Amino acid sequence: MTRLAAAGVGWAIDGRFVLVDVDLALAPASITVLTGENGAGKSSLLDVLAGVRKPARGVVTLDGVALGDIDAAHLARRIARLDHAPGLYLELSALENVQLFRALLHADALLSDVTAWLTEVGLAARDHNRPVRGFSRGMLQRTGLARVLASGADVWLLDEPSTGLDRAGVELLTRVLQTARDRGATILLATHDPALLPLADRRLHLHLGHVVPPVEA
Amino acid sequence: MLLRLTWLLLRKDLRVAARSREVFGFMLLFSLLCVVVFAFGFLREGEAAAEQVPGVLWVTLLFSGTVGVLRLFAAEEEGGTLQLVQRTLAGLHPLLLSKALLQLLFSGVTMLLLLPVVLVFFDAALTRPSLTLAALALGLVGQAMLGALVGALLVHVRLREVLLPLVLYPLLAPLLIAGVRLTVLAQADAPPEALQGWLLLMAGYDALLIAVAPWLHARVVEP
Repeated sequence: MTRLAAAGVGWAIDGRFVLVDVDLALAPASITVLTGENGAGKSSLLDVLAGVRKPARGVVTLDGVALGDIDAAHLARRIARLDHAPGLYLELSALENVQLFRALLHADALLSDVTAWLTEVGLAARDHNRPVRGFSRGMLQRTGLARVLASGADVWLLDEPSTGLDRAGVELLTRVLQTARDRGATILLATHDPALLPLADRRLHLHLGHVVPPVEA
Repeated sequence: MLLRLTWLLLRKDLRVAARSREVFGFMLLFSLLCVVVFAFGFLREGEAAAEQVPGVLWVTLLFSGTVGVLRLFAAEEEGGTLQLVQRTLAGLHPLLLSKALLQLLFSGVTMLLLLPVVLVFFDAALTRPSLTLAALALGLVGQAMLGALVGALLVHVRLREVLLPLVLYPLLAPLLIAGVRLTVLAQADAPPEALQGWLLLMAGYDALLIAVAPWLHARVVEP
């Protein structure tokens, strides 16, 4: 069974193809680790899979439906994204940031639940109401991860999620990802971090825009 | 849905603005500086030039409004949230609308604080205050809508500080010209038929901007 799939996907910038005929299929309850050199096209692939960029060729489907045919709000509720930059408003607190993104996604969201997600990513209660401008890089990344958890999405596209995390943070990230997989999430993880490689149910390698055939972990 | 999302985003922007304490303060300070410069520039034989009030008022609001527009998307740029918010929303209208409302709020408060200062510096009084305020409100609505649109379109453009006035001012020219004319006529206590055309022009231009800006924004920004 496939949840998110790309078929013959190509994407170009300034006339140069960054992604070339990419085919991949991501199953529910799985973690796929995507590796590749700098500039191989990992972030671009994640953008295309998230529907942020429209492929120049080919099609991306979610549960068999082309992303272009899916209502934007529904797509945003299904696919969560975490980049190098965790995507937070620096003047807002961790709590306010996560509440905001959850409320944007879910009209009937119970915002009191947000505290539980912040605790789950290891943010101490005293930091929940502090503007994130004063956070360390690792704390920002944890807050970004809480935003992903709070989104309720079942497809996670994560770009270097261990950026800035200490060893305890990486261990926590590993646990969060394993739990999400066990709950049925489809996770694609672009990383250079060797500590995250053992998480992979499947590994893909991107080389100059081409996906190297999958190697079972 | 549109109103709920717009309110969520506007409330967030107000919180950010209250905590960073930069945009509104800069707008107000900049507009006060403009008024002082104009006041000394237009001194005639030591006397204030009251007939310059319409021009000074509108040009100052245009300049201070530009300061606000330049910072409209600063929080999104700084935290890398723009793309995230764009793909979180069901369509982009709430984002544009919330930014336009934020700009309107800041420039509206600036205008209310600035108006008495201009009148004091130029030793003038408003002949028909309600008409002048109506003209200013129409001008600020158009500036807010257009400012939010141009600000959003230029958000990733290099040299946008230079480009913004070059793009924004020509597009605001109809509102600026009509607004100044309307204020001049209001100060001269002109008959209603002399004002009607300018009022209609401003209201029509605002309606056009409100109708076209969200569509254009979605066309340019959506993948």
